[in-house]
Amino acid sequence: MTIPEVLPAISHTVTQAQLAKYADASGDHNPLHLDEAFAAATPYGRTIAHGMLVLAFVSETMAKNFGRTWMCEGKMKAKFRAPVYPGDTVTTTGTLKSISDAMATYEIIVRKQDGIDAVTVDAAVPVPA
Amino acid sequence: MDFATLEPGHQLFSQRITIASDSVVAYLAAVDDRSGPYAQEGIVPPMVVAALGMSQAMKAIELPAGAVHTGQELRFQAAVDVGAGVDYSAMVVQNSVRRGTRFMALEITADVGETRALTGRVSLAIPEGIEGEE
Repeated sequence: MTIPEVLPAISHTVTQAQLAKYADASGDHNPLHLDEAFAAATPYGRTIAHGMLVLAFVSETMAKNFGRTWMCEGKMKAKFRAPVYPGDTVTTTGTLKSISDAMATYEIIVRKQDGIDAVTVDAAVPVPA
Repeated sequence: MDFATLEPGHQLFSQRITIASDSVVAYLAAVDDRSGPYAQEGIVPPMVVAALGMSQAMKAIELPAGAVHTGQELRFQAAVDVGAGVDYSAMVVQNSVRRGTRFMALEITADVGETRALTGRVSLAIPEGIEGEE
């Protein structure tokens, strides 16, 4: 397994239809994600993507680069910084932050098309001895 | 739900969920993920394991829509085979109020048999005065 300095960027455009699919797949039917009238009355003003959907993009980036090592031994610590709305295009990038205690830690950023960071994550995988 | 009654250590739920192949297919389609060898190897994407546990925990505390998901930690510890029964449990690990906002953290575990597959911690901010859904 190689430890790249930079992970290739991956972009996704989030749609309302995708939120409905994700709700069914995950079991999270919070109306904040699905009901436009309900969401309009919240501080967000409209529906927002599930946080765990956005984290799926992070996991996709790590799985593409580290495969089963990520799936069986990976760790992530995420901070949600801004909501992702239907219609937003988010790009996930990763940069090697440190290697210590036999773990390589990447700073993963999920950034919206307007330059706002939606989520920042420290994601770590074990490195070969 | 009266969140003030949820003291650290409070067990929220304990439940077995069998993750079938069609659940994995639906999840991967929903997140537009073609990265992993999930179908070839017959393993469940770890984020499916996490997402199902998270949604059960949110239901268990009757999380109101005004709540904000502020942070998430996940540790993947073993692969879960498609069709496996996953034993989930979740408990409250933090519950405090500061400046009109309740801060809660929940720890979620997922086991297959004797093997721990996943540990997760979710951090939530809930404006005081918002009660859980009935």
